[in-house]
Amino acid sequence: MLGLLVLTPIIVGAIAYLLRGNAAKALLYIFQVAYVGLAFYVFLNVKQNGPIIWNAGGYTDGLALSLYADSISIFMVLMTAVFYIAFLVYATREPYFKHRFYFMFMALQGLMMGLFLSSDLFNIFVFLEVSTVVVSILIMFNKEKQAIYDGMIYFFVNVIGTAFLLFGIGMLYRTFGLLDIRALREAMTGLESPRAVVLPYGMMMVTVSLKTAVTPLFSWLPKAHGTPSAPPVVSAVLSGLYIKSGVYMFIRFNDMFSPVIDMHVFFFWIGFFTSLIGFIMALGQKDIKLILAYHTVSQVGLIMMGINMASEIAFWGAVYHIFNHAIFKSTLFLTAGLIYEEYGTRNVYKIRGLFKRMPWVAVATVFAILGITGAPFFNGSISKYMIAHGTYDYTVTLLLNIINLGTVMSFVKYSTMLFGKNPEEGTAKTDVYALTASVIMGVASFMTGIFGEALTQFFFNYEVHVNVDEYIQKGMVYFLMIIAGVAFYHGIVKHGGLITRIGHLELTFNGIITSMAGYFIVMVVYLSLIL
Amino acid sequence: MKPLDFITGEIVGILLFFIGLYGLMTKKTIVKTIMSMSIMESGIFLFYITINFTEGAVPPIGQAQEAAFVDPVPSALMITAIVIGIGVTAIGLTMFMHYKQKHGITHWSRNRNQTGSGH
Repeated sequence: MLGLLVLTPIIVGAIAYLLRGNAAKALLYIFQVAYVGLAFYVFLNVKQNGPIIWNAGGYTDGLALSLYADSISIFMVLMTAVFYIAFLVYATREPYFKHRFYFMFMALQGLMMGLFLSSDLFNIFVFLEVSTVVVSILIMFNKEKQAIYDGMIYFFVNVIGTAFLLFGIGMLYRTFGLLDIRALREAMTGLESPRAVVLPYGMMMVTVSLKTAVTPLFSWLPKAHGTPSAPPVVSAVLSGLYIKSGVYMFIRFNDMFSPVIDMHVFFFWIGFFTSLIGFIMALGQKDIKLILAYHTVSQVGLIMMGINMASEIAFWGAVYHIFNHAIFKSTLFLTAGLIYEEYGTRNVYKIRGLFKRMPWVAVATVFAILGITGAPFFNGSISKYMIAHGTYDYTVTLLLNIINLGTVMSFVKYSTMLFGKNPEEGTAKTDVYALTASVIMGVASFMTGIFGEALTQFFFNYEVHVNVDEYIQKGMVYFLMIIAGVAFYHGIVKHGGLITRIGHLELTFNGIITSMAGYFIVMVVYLSLIL
Repeated sequence: MKPLDFITGEIVGILLFFIGLYGLMTKKTIVKTIMSMSIMESGIFLFYITINFTEGAVPPIGQAQEAAFVDPVPSALMITAIVIGIGVTAIGLTMFMHYKQKHGITHWSRNRNQTGSGH
């Protein structure tokens, strides 16, 4: 059953590649709906009967290559499958939606499922390597100069990153003789000295941190997600879903090492700095795709903070934020695609009058912006509320508010596109499929906010009760932040200067690799100090 | 103990890995990047296949039981990893060749040109 989840998208993608034309499109839609049904069925199964394990070849659990579905992993699978419907609908009439694209796009889905479900370390390595290849081809799909350069950086950096993972796995195998994540977790409880796993932990965390794009390893992300000519759907998949596989692996690997190594303080601060640097860099951009890409960095930092707060409510808040971020960031990338196709520019200062020109696109954008900034009743507010509840420490609350203020500031800048004079008369004609998909995604960010309590209960079996008084109070804070954001925008950001210069800082290829090595050394030194 | 006993496959593997990493950190030519990547991967392969190596062990084939069996798992993993490594190197070279022939660039540039407008 679980094997089907991984394999079918790839096979159907290959069939669609051979069929071509409208038959292939019809096949993809029918398949995707059926696939969501299957994922939902497995999800309900897991919810009722607990985790499902599938061992290849009938070997004993722990030695076999196995797929493993528990509440988090099957939730990620379901999320990915549902979002793919929206992406496929969006792409229906896009010029790049051809046979070659079908195969790559569907294969990526299968590979992501593999990453979510696999319980075998070596399989995770294989899935990572193959998905790196697929993603870099998708990035350079239009073969434009900048896209090829960005795709190459993405490709090499990630291949080198996964080499670290492979080395780490080798060291673990040398110590334990096991490759299965769950079996390794059990074996680690019997470990005499935690020092034996410091090096493999460092190696594996370098890869995971690279995939989640935390400081200082995020330099590849804006290049990959924000490259000008990559299809909007690809950017949406990368920023909405694929980056989450890194966060997911972080959860899994940390759980595996949890009997011996506890690094939550370290990664909490890493998450904070990622978030901080992410939005500061986002403020300096004027390309709308790059603003969104840097913003992904910032939001992933927030998710990392939530995961590493060592509190249950913050952890589930972060997991719910994974879902919410997938909704609104995909919406934003999809609408951004429509916007720059219509205006012929990606410069945020040149796009004006979106409400008059493309009213429905503007509505979807507004919903997504309200979601990402955490406006009351929208999904972002629920997950941020949960993350904020993970702590009673005043400083940490302050840090979270700083990050939210940053988010608000950069989206005040982004939303200047909505207002102003319409450059041409009347409304623009937009492809109806693309529009429907974006608007539905936008509305989803409202619905998942309204039904936030029920959804967390349903997805994670975790009960949250939103305290009304406190929620209203947070709403007030939100409006204050909007005011501060607008003031800040008109006071500082608009005039560029230092902020723009910071935004244009970036590492070269060698710089990225050097920071990777530096990160590894820092982590190993830190670990040997605390252990 | 022989004088060069400390030169085991594992040590050499680790050294190769970091030599490759050094190359990646310092060389700006794309071809050298690909070469360093291969060196790094070779280091990993060597590390794996010498994991838990014992003198005089026999391959786990056939019925002969006189000596201890070699652990077959690392070798099996490395066959997969080598194939993946070849594929990755080939793809990297293809990308590089395409890029060089079309745009004549062989080095990692210092800065991406900031594009804010136009397609």
